[in-house]
Amino acid sequence: MIEVRNLSKHYGSHRAVNNISFTVNEGEIVGFLGPNGAGKTTTLRIVTCYMPATSGSVTIAGHDVLTESMQVRAVVGYLPESVPLYPEMRVREYLQFRGRLHGMDRANRAAAIDRVVERCWLRDVIDRPIGQLSKGYRQRVGLADSLLHNPKVLVLDEPTIGLDPAQIRATRSLIRELAQEHTVILSSHILPEVEATCQRLIIIHEGRLVASGTPDELRQRMTTESNLIAELKGPESDIGASVRKLAGVADVRTTLQDGWTRVSVAAQRDLREDIFRLAIEKHWPLRELRRDIATLEDFFVKVVTGTREQHDGRDEAAAER
Amino acid sequence: MRNVSAIMRRELLSLFCSPIAYIVIAGFLLITGVAVLWTGSFSPGKPASLRDVFFWTPWMLTVIVPAISMRAISEEYRSGTIESLMTAPVSELQLVLGKYFASLIFYVIMLAPTLVYVVLMEAFGNPDWGASLSSYLGLLLIGVMFTAFGLFASSLTSNQVVAWILGWVPLLLFACLAFFVVSLVQGWVRVVFQQVNVIGRFDEFSRGLVTTDGVVFFLATAALFLFLAVKVVESRRWR
Repeated sequence: MIEVRNLSKHYGSHRAVNNISFTVNEGEIVGFLGPNGAGKTTTLRIVTCYMPATSGSVTIAGHDVLTESMQVRAVVGYLPESVPLYPEMRVREYLQFRGRLHGMDRANRAAAIDRVVERCWLRDVIDRPIGQLSKGYRQRVGLADSLLHNPKVLVLDEPTIGLDPAQIRATRSLIRELAQEHTVILSSHILPEVEATCQRLIIIHEGRLVASGTPDELRQRMTTESNLIAELKGPESDIGASVRKLAGVADVRTTLQDGWTRVSVAAQRDLREDIFRLAIEKHWPLRELRRDIATLEDFFVKVVTGTREQHDGRDEAAAER
Repeated sequence: MRNVSAIMRRELLSLFCSPIAYIVIAGFLLITGVAVLWTGSFSPGKPASLRDVFFWTPWMLTVIVPAISMRAISEEYRSGTIESLMTAPVSELQLVLGKYFASLIFYVIMLAPTLVYVVLMEAFGNPDWGASLSSYLGLLLIGVMFTAFGLFASSLTSNQVVAWILGWVPLLLFACLAFFVVSLVQGWVRVVFQQVNVIGRFDEFSRGLVTTDGVVFFLATAALFLFLAVKVVESRRWR
């Protein structure tokens, strides 16, 4: 449905988006994740025909965003990050206006407005000026607007930013519902947000695509190297030395806490049984033993800080030269 | 065309929702009324003509017309609604034309009440209808040109006040001061000032003289600035 190939966008010498490629299939709901300033909004603006790319191509439903811009706009519903609306207009007037821009006749407009007002729970505020609405309602008006022409593709830029927790939950479930009829691409810098709603994640950082896959796939990539925590009572140095001897151990750190030794082990495999046997063998009492399952958060942080370290290294190397 | 009318209708709605619209209309009518008294157009013995009033009207319009169009595009930039407009199936040309016609309709609405003076003239005297008609045609053409220029100014910035100043300063300098400068300079400079001399051109209309030259000047200038406005709005694509 959406095909992005070698997309780059430069603002002067600054590279906002650097050679990104990805595909979104029909009916998929894809999360576009990255820290602030990663290039998410820029990419979405290119996808929605707001501005052209420096190089590369984007195709939506078979139409190129550059050469068949109007056809693309007809099949894409876009909710910009700032949710721009006209405060002096009433909700109904605004939706009427947007419907006209999409070339709907009077009957179609009435039906479409009825549909999106129902969907986005706007019935109570339909005759109120937009300027008087709360942030949550405005967000819904924006969403209603992007749904008005029943687009094949929905592009939502930070759809839950600035909402309260209850509204965030409601918006998420609405987006999941919408994904049954539309292909959705949504951006966020908050991981639980996309983890909760999306089937697939695309993580970008500093304009580069650093990882993509389902949440499970990404989590798996992380858990290959897991972290194990154990608390034993015994001489700290002995415990450290014995644990280090176990097969598959990469790194061991010990700390003394009110008479107990806390061991943190990085290992390739699950060492819980080995530690248990070790404790019995040496008669060290054991009061805690657990394996930390890596969260997606860890992965996100690792990916993002990892590339930053790489960058710093490269910059330093360049500076030395 | 449907998009142009949709944008025009929305713009008119917004114009009449803002206090600026009423301030502008009230201000214009007040100044016109004062001008009528001040020029003594209704004094006994004076010719039944509004020519003295009309002489001052373009001066007011240089300041007032950019105030009508100043928010048209700059407000879209400021509030970010340009993003939702330009991702809907709307072209830059349709946007600019919609905004333009809305400002122009507003201008006509603002101008319409001054017809009362013509009616009063008719009640108390025997005015030259041809001259009145061509004066209004001239005012309309001035509106056509000034609105296009004001819209161009509005497309340059996201700040309404800046758009207003960018609108009236050049208009005042070139279009109106040219009327005085034209007799002071020689050679090609004089030719240029003769061409852009809006007051002089309008003076022909208020004498009842409708020339092709004059009509083409106003229409062509309007087309030029509308074209430039479209290009400026498009320029966000390659900036």
